[in-house]
Amino acid sequence: MSSETAVLSRWIPWSAPAREADWEALYAEQMPRVYNFFRYRVGDGAEAEDLTSATFERAWRSRARYRGDLAGFAAWLFAIARNLAVDHYRARRPHVPLEAAESLAAPGSADRDAAHRSDCERLLVLLSALPDRERELISLKYGAGLTNRAIARVTGLGESNVGTILHRTIAGLRERWDRKETHHG
Amino acid sequence: MDEKFLESARREPRPEFTAELRGKLARQVATTREPRRLALRPELAIAAGVVVAAAAALIAFPSVRASAEAFLDLFRVRNFTAVSFDRARMDKLRSLDAGKGLMVLEHASGEAQAPEPIVYPNAAAAGAAAGLDVRQPGYLPAGFALDTVMVEAQGESRMTVNEPKLRALLDALDLHDVTIPPGLNGQSVTVRRPPVVIQHFRRGRSEIALIQARSPEVTLPPGVDLERLGEIGLRILGLDAGEARHIAASIDWHSTLVIPVPLEASSFRHVTVQGNPGLLIQSRGEAGTEHERIREGTVILWSEGDRVFGVMSGLSGPDLIQVAESVR
Repeated sequence: MSSETAVLSRWIPWSAPAREADWEALYAEQMPRVYNFFRYRVGDGAEAEDLTSATFERAWRSRARYRGDLAGFAAWLFAIARNLAVDHYRARRPHVPLEAAESLAAPGSADRDAAHRSDCERLLVLLSALPDRERELISLKYGAGLTNRAIARVTGLGESNVGTILHRTIAGLRERWDRKETHHG
Repeated sequence: MDEKFLESARREPRPEFTAELRGKLARQVATTREPRRLALRPELAIAAGVVVAAAAALIAFPSVRASAEAFLDLFRVRNFTAVSFDRARMDKLRSLDAGKGLMVLEHASGEAQAPEPIVYPNAAAAGAAAGLDVRQPGYLPAGFALDTVMVEAQGESRMTVNEPKLRALLDALDLHDVTIPPGLNGQSVTVRRPPVVIQHFRRGRSEIALIQARSPEVTLPPGVDLERLGEIGLRILGLDAGEARHIAASIDWHSTLVIPVPLEASSFRHVTVQGNPGLLIQSRGEAGTEHERIREGTVILWSEGDRVFGVMSGLSGPDLIQVAESVR
């Protein structure tokens, strides 16, 4: 992490290239993003935590290379996270049939928290039925909270392509969601 | 289902998990620690001042570290002062530099950049390497202890002035009324930077850094009008003509280190440390780019004889003055 020794450098514009990264701030900001990326990508629970740990441990080993480019480091974090997610699926490809999502009860309880939890669970199950690329983009966009531009940078897709795929994927999710609502309605 | 709903499944990581991973990463860093690099090269701080002080007009670019370092040696530091500048001006300079590469000083020979600091086991070993009787603080706030001692080796470099680029810079800043002293183009400046000893004292995540070195030395071409160059430097920093002239005339440019500080984020005042002239700069902190910010903190710079000292920390001014006063 940066130290207070960086204070002076930050006053002095000429020293800008020597600015030291604020690793603690980066960790505080990026860890929840990476964690939620994995929750959306591989599911809730211990696996998301394990993969988050693995991502940061790998990134931290070489973080010095990114002292002057923390935006680049953040993109690199997600590049590692994507690869780990791919490895994870190679090792154990979960099969979650679409019916599983539909088997979850639609919210009918007066308990809003319980209903919300149920909705979230149902959403994550719906996500698990998406093709890899679509689920990855949804995970980067809504789990990690990346912009389309940042997603394009991480995935190598064009920014407009990212937007198009997300739009189409959300429409499909909405349709499946509403279909179930109708069933329960 | 809308975007808000899609985001609603996000969860904060468990606090236990967050803390556990943070600890794991800290241990990983500790066991694979490379010799630490200084975010701020102390001489760079000096350089920044000298840029303004000496040939400021000639550089004033963030990417020109070598140039800045060169200028640090334009004089011997005996006194310190600060000049406020508008951060917007620095952003403008950065954008100009990024677009056009307006490096006014060109590296001619010697080291282009200061070497990486080398870690030593203790102050005595660092002092032996630096040829310096290393001083240490007699007082530290409770809980602080020596963490790392480093030495940045001495170096020398020679730079030459590119007057057309200086002219282009002034034009880009719409400083058409500034005249450049004749005969600057191709002149060389030789910089000799003595070894610098850096001591870090740590208490958890808080840190105090004590930096000490003999004053750098610079050999300038004969007849250089430092006051005039300093005035040009101040104009480049954004001061108007009258203000720049007035300040330039009030400074002894051969011995005064002028530190540019952002107007919006910091304040400064002259202090006395062990009876010697010094400068205290206090940052109020400022949000920076995505992952960079100006931290709250204090820097005290002072000189004693042929030595310059700097102490910096997130501590308050009075606390840090106490530390500075105790350096023996």
